[in-house]
Amino acid sequence: MYSKEEIFKAVSTVIDPEVGFNLVEMGLIYDASCNEKMEVVVTMTLSTKACPLHQLIVQWVEEAVLRELPKVQIAKVDLVWEPAWNISMANENVKQQLGSF
Amino acid sequence: MNISTAFAPPFKLVAPFFIIGVSTFVVTILLMFGFEFENLHYFNSSTLAWVHIFLLAFVMLIILGAMAQLIPVVLEVGHLAVDLYYAIYPLMILGTLLMAFGFYNLPILLPFGGVTVLIALFIFLIETFLTILKVKKINFIISTIIISNIFLLLGVIIGIALALNYSGIFSFDSFKLLKAHIFLVFFGYVGTTVMSMSLILLPMFWLSHSFTWVYVKTAFILLCFSICFMLFFTFSSITLVEDIAYTLCISSLFLYFLQIFVIYKKRVRVEVDIYFKSMLFSYFSLFTSLSLFFIYFFYSKDNLLLCASWLLFVGFIGFLISGHLYKIVPFLVWYERFSIFVGKKRVPMLNDLIPKKSSNFQFLNSSIGVIIVSLSFLLESDTLYKSGLCFLTLGVIFLLKDILYMAKIKEETYVF
Repeated sequence: MYSKEEIFKAVSTVIDPEVGFNLVEMGLIYDASCNEKMEVVVTMTLSTKACPLHQLIVQWVEEAVLRELPKVQIAKVDLVWEPAWNISMANENVKQQLGSF
Repeated sequence: MNISTAFAPPFKLVAPFFIIGVSTFVVTILLMFGFEFENLHYFNSSTLAWVHIFLLAFVMLIILGAMAQLIPVVLEVGHLAVDLYYAIYPLMILGTLLMAFGFYNLPILLPFGGVTVLIALFIFLIETFLTILKVKKINFIISTIIISNIFLLLGVIIGIALALNYSGIFSFDSFKLLKAHIFLVFFGYVGTTVMSMSLILLPMFWLSHSFTWVYVKTAFILLCFSICFMLFFTFSSITLVEDIAYTLCISSLFLYFLQIFVIYKKRVRVEVDIYFKSMLFSYFSLFTSLSLFFIYFFYSKDNLLLCASWLLFVGFIGFLISGHLYKIVPFLVWYERFSIFVGKKRVPMLNDLIPKKSSNFQFLNSSIGVIIVSLSFLLESDTLYKSGLCFLTLGVIFLLKDILYMAKIKEETYVF
């Protein structure tokens, strides 16, 4: 089984092309788990409900998990809107780059 | 709200709307060199021709192109028949040309131009309404689209009546109908569409969260009442109703401005890119324009009205559109040509597709141009007017160059 940290590392290869940061840095990945059948579920949100790349980003996350963690059989994304994303969830680098400091 | 990117129309369908629209923007600025400054404020045929070219072949084409992309975002369903959009822009261009010639030389062409535009817009409206029928739940933004499209339909029908009158086929006092036409099309369609699309686009591009929508919702309701009052005035002679319509319209736009300020204050993303600068200038123009309209209420000086209209058209609408084009075109190009390489190869960010130096040069010249022309109206100086137009011409030519550059970006340039 893969740890939460390993799954987060895999997902961090996905970059939001609009802002140029990866999804983990942005704080968009809320949780991740892997069961004994090597099925991974990533719980995530998006920075806005109207994100035009909604479906593609979900697809990229699933592909990244399958690509970076070769033993994974199935990768699924659970897209949630609660709690809603806000800038405090992003890491310090993102806050600084976006000018929120 | 979730968009299905599978519903997005191909770039080759949307691109002509943007490219032809911006080309028309260049043409309208060049046409302004031919105006006699003293007669500009009158409703002469040249002014009417210019307004229709600007609104139909620049503003409406860009809005229709953007709506092709945004309707699936808002409705969360695919277009019923997106290929119909291939028929819309040729008809819009033909209709605009006929109307322009009609205003300049041959008034008999006006009804033909008007009907051609009506057919184009009718195709758009039918496609949109039939697409809306696929939606299971109507939310606030969808209801704004329905209402704005009804206003557009009514506005174009009144426009046809005006064209028949102008060409001599009918004979009636058209001044009241003209006001209803302006209110229905400009405020009723363009205004409400800008308001409702702002609800989606601004928070998305500025990463703004956790704010109230009460101002824009109130603004929308006030604007709808304003248009209804103006329609009522058209068929009655109660001037109080007309005054109420104006007051509600200006109040609505001030409330919209307040909403924008609230979104701006809550933004996370504070980088000063071409989009941000264009938006700031656009809203600054709107605020100044509204203030001038307000002053005009009391002083009734034509140059105030002219300056306010100029700032509303070119300062607000022009910069609002150009700013959004620097977001929408790179996104569409990136989505079509680069998204397939994600996870496989290194791909550019959206920001990498924007020609930064050129876009900044465009913004600088366009903004200086708009400011100088505004001053020329207030000071009634022909020299200032022409020099302002020179700056603006340079700006809009660079805007066109940037749009063409972004639309032509190929995969080989960035993906190795």
